[in-house]
Amino acid sequence: MKELLRIENLHASIGGKEILKGVNLVINEGEVHAIMGPNGAGKSTLSAVLTGNPAYEVTEGKVWLRGEDLLAMEPEVRARAGVFLSFQYPVEIPGVSMTNFMRTAINEKRAYEGKEPLSAKEFLALMREKKKLLELPDKLNNRSVNEGFSGGEKKKNEIFQMAMLNPCLAILDETDSGLDIDALRIVAEGVNRLKTPQNASIVITHYQRLLDYIVPDFVHVLADGQIVKTGDKNLALELEEKGYEGL
Amino acid sequence: MKVSKGDIFERVFVNEEVNLQIDQESGSHVKIHVINASFSITVNQLGEGCHTEIYALEHLRGEENVTAETHVTHAVGGGSSNQLIKFVLDDNSRGRFIGDLKIAQDAQQTEAHQTNRNLLLSEEAEMRTQPQLEIYADDVKATHGASTGQLDESALFYMQQRGIGKEKARQLLVNAFMKDVIETIGDQYADVREQLLNTIDGVVE
Ligand SMILES: Nc1ncnc2c1ncn2[C@@H]1O[C@H](COP(=O)(O)OP(=O)(O)OP(=O)(O)O)[C@@H](O)[C@H]1O
Ligand SMILES: [Mg+2]
Repeated sequence: MKELLRIENLHASIGGKEILKGVNLVINEGEVHAIMGPNGAGKSTLSAVLTGNPAYEVTEGKVWLRGEDLLAMEPEVRARAGVFLSFQYPVEIPGVSMTNFMRTAINEKRAYEGKEPLSAKEFLALMREKKKLLELPDKLNNRSVNEGFSGGEKKKNEIFQMAMLNPCLAILDETDSGLDIDALRIVAEGVNRLKTPQNASIVITHYQRLLDYIVPDFVHVLADGQIVKTGDKNLALELEEKGYEGL
Repeated sequence: MKVSKGDIFERVFVNEEVNLQIDQESGSHVKIHVINASFSITVNQLGEGCHTEIYALEHLRGEENVTAETHVTHAVGGGSSNQLIKFVLDDNSRGRFIGDLKIAQDAQQTEAHQTNRNLLLSEEAEMRTQPQLEIYADDVKATHGASTGQLDESALFYMQQRGIGKEKARQLLVNAFMKDVIETIGDQYADVREQLLNTIDGVVE
């Protein structure tokens, strides 16, 4: 099994307040890791720090992506190297069309990999294929990025972008929240179909329901900035029953 | 100059300083775009049912210093005016918008909108906005808004997270900000409009 991500003693703060207090985690290719934990525990902070959000300061610790110093990379380089975040709160970008946005993103990644940019035709064919996977309506892509999308559409749009960019490490931050029952199934099936023996995902969720579809190899509990418990998929069931108090 | 009864006066000025004083007769239509130049435009709606549109886009760099000045007077009723003035200020540039909008007592049932939006791309750039509204009629619909802000940091990060370089992400956001002004250019100036849109959409390649 090949190691994809290694987090060692990661501490991070925002606005001078320490949120992550020594996170340790190793993720190998092909694995699905669920992270659960109470509100405010630092789950989204971990996503933000792994993707290089400048609002957060790393005060201690190291992170390696395939042996390379992840924290030394610019956010866009981390993305091109295959780290993808499905945002808990996707951002609206008025005036930038989904098509223009996605095409720029794809071609920047291809340039990084030393590949030629996709032609307009190839690009549109790829869009069509991936939209189908998420059962997204055609018209969404003529609109500005996330602008006026419903909560569920925004989440679907995140997974659509994931399908377009084909990351090696996908972090799904509460992708299930706000999805209706059908959308949850479509999104989960989409995620499962993108799974390969070479990539891995971190699935942050509050609900066992999502993990019925996306079955995790490991379940971690993040509480007060640290991983306090790790188990297999049964840990999620146990938490559903007893809550975090029961730990 | 005078725009006669029912006539249409439409112009697009690019990189060209503009100084205009216009009297509008009833039912006439004035539509002016100014791109990247100082201007002073005075419009008096002297006849009923006139329509006035003033749009400006000022993208300033280096030491550039641009003043945009509009004086729109609705002397009689039933007319409308719409102004959208946008500045993008980089480096040490200076921008200034002076916007006088007057609706006289007799100008009932006037609809007037004035909007000034500015984007500061550097700490050194400076924008001064001086809107002045004088409304003497009571049965009117008038709005005005002015705002000066910076690029949306969360949007920038979102784009970087998809692999878009920071500079390119900034460019996409700036272009998005500028686009709607250019899109208001009418078909009579379609070639100018497409050329301007192309220069800002070139980012994709
Ligand atoms: N700008 C800030 N200044 C101070 N504290 C902040 C700031 N932003 C976030 N926090 C705090 O950081 C803590 C961790 O937040 P985070 O979003 O990582 O939690 P989470 O585990 O994702 O929670 P949830 O399950 O509700 O999404 C919270 O207590 C939050 O209030
Ligand atoms: Mg969160």
